[in-house]
Amino acid sequence: MKDVSALIQENGAVQDRSIYWDRDIYELEQERIFARSWLFLTHESQIPLAGDFITTRMGEDEVIVSRHTDGSLQAYINSCPHRGNQVCYAEMGNTKSFTCAYHGWAFGTDGKLITVPLEHETYYDNIDKARFGLQQVAQIESYRGLVFATFDPTAPPLMSFLGDMAWYMDAFMDVPGGTELLGPPMKSILDCNWKVPVENFIGDGYHVGWAHAAALDAINRLQGLGGAETNPLMSMQGNAGYNPDGTGIQVSTLGGHGMGIIWETAAALHVNPAYGEWLAYRTETIRAERGEWAAKLYNGHWDASIFPNCSFLYGTNTFKHWQPAGPRSIEVFTWTLVEKEMPEELKQYLAMMNMMTFGTAGMLETDDGENMEGCTGSNRGWMTRQGKVYAGMGQVNEGPHPELPGIVSEGIVAETSYRGFYRAWADMMSGKSWEEMSRGASRRSIKEVA
Amino acid sequence: MSAAIAKINAVNSEPLIEREQLPQELMYSVERHLIREARILDEERIRYWYENFLTEDIMYSMPTPVSRYRREKGKPLPGTNPGSGAYMDNYELLGMRIARLETGLVWMEDPQNAIRRFLTNIDAEYAEDGSGDVIAYCNFMVYRNRRQRDETVTYGHKVDRLRQVDGKWRCSQRTIHMDQRVILDKNVTFFL
Repeated sequence: MKDVSALIQENGAVQDRSIYWDRDIYELEQERIFARSWLFLTHESQIPLAGDFITTRMGEDEVIVSRHTDGSLQAYINSCPHRGNQVCYAEMGNTKSFTCAYHGWAFGTDGKLITVPLEHETYYDNIDKARFGLQQVAQIESYRGLVFATFDPTAPPLMSFLGDMAWYMDAFMDVPGGTELLGPPMKSILDCNWKVPVENFIGDGYHVGWAHAAALDAINRLQGLGGAETNPLMSMQGNAGYNPDGTGIQVSTLGGHGMGIIWETAAALHVNPAYGEWLAYRTETIRAERGEWAAKLYNGHWDASIFPNCSFLYGTNTFKHWQPAGPRSIEVFTWTLVEKEMPEELKQYLAMMNMMTFGTAGMLETDDGENMEGCTGSNRGWMTRQGKVYAGMGQVNEGPHPELPGIVSEGIVAETSYRGFYRAWADMMSGKSWEEMSRGASRRSIKEVA
Repeated sequence: MSAAIAKINAVNSEPLIEREQLPQELMYSVERHLIREARILDEERIRYWYENFLTEDIMYSMPTPVSRYRREKGKPLPGTNPGSGAYMDNYELLGMRIARLETGLVWMEDPQNAIRRFLTNIDAEYAEDGSGDVIAYCNFMVYRNRRQRDETVTYGHKVDRLRQVDGKWRCSQRTIHMDQRVILDKNVTFFL
């Protein structure tokens, strides 16, 4: 394997192409990133009642996430400790227990072994059932309804891991009544490396006008959303215009999270005025309680990724989990993120628009999927993957911001948060301890900044 | 101690409702209509399809199937899962997808993909409401070949509600059921 410390260079701007292709690098990612990081599982709204469960993956490990009878959230590996068979094949439901189809061992919704068929006759009651529960995650926590878990008992608490990313996300997660994910999730396979969609969502304002030229044109013409003069998203179409300073920011926060935000455009892709009206209604409360920055963030359109493999677009309201399935394949889960207190018709409308734009046949999703596969597949060539790729845009106008946390660059078309992601990736791949990576530094209250 | 096994009636035990059969000539016209529609789509005459094969009140959907245990069949899903789908389109949204394709700026479709639709097991019966509309069922196979070596085959079935408009069939409701929980192709950006 190549020298891990040389894979990322120039402060995160240069990536060795082998990181998108090589099996041994991928395996090291499983060990050093996926077995250690906090990983997204689900939203509490998906499993509200005792016995509710979903199945998902942490890295390539199959896990069950459930609401136990005591109301607690639980997550454990979906594999029987007897002979290893997967114990649950349904993707969601409500149950009292999970029974292995091989020999009938049954586990409670806390993962504990409760029934061993013929226990008396075969084990002569000499089996320590406490020893053979489903393997638990080391820690499970939620951030405003989003549930995460880690296999690493030494990982810092979730809020430290999210750090300033949560400070930013509070703008739309910390709303009266909270948020929910609408499903069932659409699921599809993309033959790309898992990092490619993460970097796209974390900070690729550059591709919007070009890759999505056709969709922006069609939406704009048929929905009458206003031309480039009035709608900043539309001004990007075909790279006809460039978003100058002041129209948005890109941010990289400690820990490799990041986002790009275009101000005043949360509702820019929507012709239905109900969404804009809701935002205006909510903004009054947010401004009064949490100040001008929170209100500004709440009304922006965001593309974002939470390290390592979870992304969302706020405003388009899509929420994505990119699950690695080998170095050159991922399984994509897609939900719609809404506020709980929104009227039902508005939720339905937002879900429909999310499916239309970023679902499995979404008009923008399919532009991206094609590029993500192309960025991965070309590295098949041995000579090709001896080379490097470049994310150097925006280095001259990024830095600390007088008011906002993280490294901030002016304008959404930059690659600031690409670099932050790859610096964090390199840190974790080097095998540094959490202390050495100094996670969990600044996390200011949004009020302090306002 | 042996674990008690809770038994359920697993297979489909709902009674089959025998509806009035279509006269042979009508059945033939439904079959030919569906087959002709597949050819029009294979030939990428999407605007023609949009204007001649659909009614303006169409609901064109591809619901997300959920993989659950049989014992929970018919029960509501847990949590906030009101339903989703790769397509949940009305006439206007379908029109937007087509306008996008017509721009010539969809890089994924250039060079052109080869898409071939195969329809089989066509069955049809009158709609329950006595409107004269016909419910048509068929299985499909879609072959897609693109980018030299990118090849997928997708299977499923669709249920249409067909309406006679000026002596020709038009679809006023189409529900496409993919036989894949996880779409194994990267997307499903083809009309069926």
